[in-house]
Amino acid sequence: MALLEVKEISKTFTQKKKPAHIVLENMSFNVEQGQYVSLLGPSGCGKTTLLTMLGGFMLPDAGQIYLAGKKVEGPGPDRGFVFQNYALFPWMTVKENILYSLKVQNFSKKEREQRLQELLDISHLHGSENKYPIQLSGGMQQRVAVVRALASRPEILLLDEPLGAIDFQMRELLQEELAALVEETKTTVVMVTHDVNESVYLSDRVIVMSANKGRIIQDVYIDLPRPRSRQSKAFKEYVSELTDLVRQAFREGESVKKG
Amino acid sequence: MERHGSAIPDAGNAKLNLGDIFDKYRGNFYTLFVLMVLLIIWNFAASRIQNTLLLPYLSETAMEFFTAWTDPVIMSNLGLTLKRVITGFLYAYVIGVPLGLLMGYSATAMQSLAPVMNSIRQIPIMAWVPLSIIWFGLGDGPTVFLIAMSAIFPLVINTIAGVQGIDPNYYNAARSMGASKLDIVRDIVVPGAMPHILTGCRLAMGAGWMSVICAEFIATSAGFGFLMVEAQVRLETAQLYALMIMSGLVGYAIDKVFIAVERKMTSWRFKDGFVGS
Repeated sequence: MALLEVKEISKTFTQKKKPAHIVLENMSFNVEQGQYVSLLGPSGCGKTTLLTMLGGFMLPDAGQIYLAGKKVEGPGPDRGFVFQNYALFPWMTVKENILYSLKVQNFSKKEREQRLQELLDISHLHGSENKYPIQLSGGMQQRVAVVRALASRPEILLLDEPLGAIDFQMRELLQEELAALVEETKTTVVMVTHDVNESVYLSDRVIVMSANKGRIIQDVYIDLPRPRSRQSKAFKEYVSELTDLVRQAFREGESVKKG
Repeated sequence: MERHGSAIPDAGNAKLNLGDIFDKYRGNFYTLFVLMVLLIIWNFAASRIQNTLLLPYLSETAMEFFTAWTDPVIMSNLGLTLKRVITGFLYAYVIGVPLGLLMGYSATAMQSLAPVMNSIRQIPIMAWVPLSIIWFGLGDGPTVFLIAMSAIFPLVINTIAGVQGIDPNYYNAARSMGASKLDIVRDIVVPGAMPHILTGCRLAMGAGWMSVICAEFIATSAGFGFLMVEAQVRLETAQLYALMIMSGLVGYAIDKVFIAVERKMTSWRFKDGFVGS
């Protein structure tokens, strides 16, 4: 049985005085334990809506989502969610942010302290645990957000364009950090992105979604050894293949809009 | 301030550096300068008008001002007024902040309470005076009520704005980490709204301090405002000026205390070197 099962989910947004917008229709896919899966597609393809539903912040109109055999019916600590803007609590220190899930789940002080050390180790944040998020660089904030999501050992990590707001030079560096963090913890990941290069660099598998009802255009397995070189011929081939698919995804959306 | 250099001369160069000292206290120098200019204008105007009932001389007012701080009658009345302000403020805080949290958090509470609150808010504060005297008689009662009445609205409105300004992702993040409703209120809603709540406190305290003086003109026979009326009746304009300046300074000091509390309680906002007002 796959760790994450998405079964024929649909989602429609309705607004007053506007035609109903079908974001996702009958979408199904599975994610195996330990896989790093990217949801790639043009804006408006429903990838963030899908991730929001995986997080349980929104429920599908039809269909079900199962995580480790359990139906997803709301947010919960079995899924670690990293928001696009990280949503670090600015009034809490790094330590308080990282340990928040353990605090509200009443872990003992000893367990919390021990877990903190492990998380500081993998994120290289030793010495910053008493700083506030405002005092950290973008890269450090990202690491805090990721280890905070990992703190209560979730089954799966859900990343919503974690590098969307980072400038280009910094982004490649942070992708490397993210890859190392995930590899070290051997977590299953579903990541939303619109950056082809990023999806090839990080993922075992890239699901390309169409702007037309979120149809899965193609499910591409990235068969490259890690750590990956962006300069290799195979890497570039994947990038060009996926770029073509994203263009196709975009065109499908345009044709729908035209009618 | 570091970029202006240190005002403390090092051992090798013990010469007092006036430029550095000026840099360090630049703001204070400007304040002092403006103050001097105002006082000079005052003195000039007083010597032209030559009527101490309208505008007493600077020296006369200064004398009144400095003796006032050691005058037991004035000080005990000031203490009484401060006690009223603090009591009224506490009532406003205890009612206003929970109300603001509720209205900011729940759309239903907002829809049901906002029209009523916004109507009551439009009633001028002095219009409550007759009613407050009927309700509470003369003395502390009506003054405390008027302070609370004028302090509660800035608190409610700022608390609402504080709650509404919280990034919705903070709620989602907390929920995905397993936080209960109570956890969310304690760890997200209250600290998230805290900067606005504290701004509300400053405005509320200012409003309270202003309305207490007015309330004491009418509804009581003691307090700082009452002293002003007395000074006016006795035609002691210099003392009236001194009392007015004192009320301004006390209000300013209270505001400074609140700014310090604000910095202490939301220190996370000031860690990157940002300087608030």
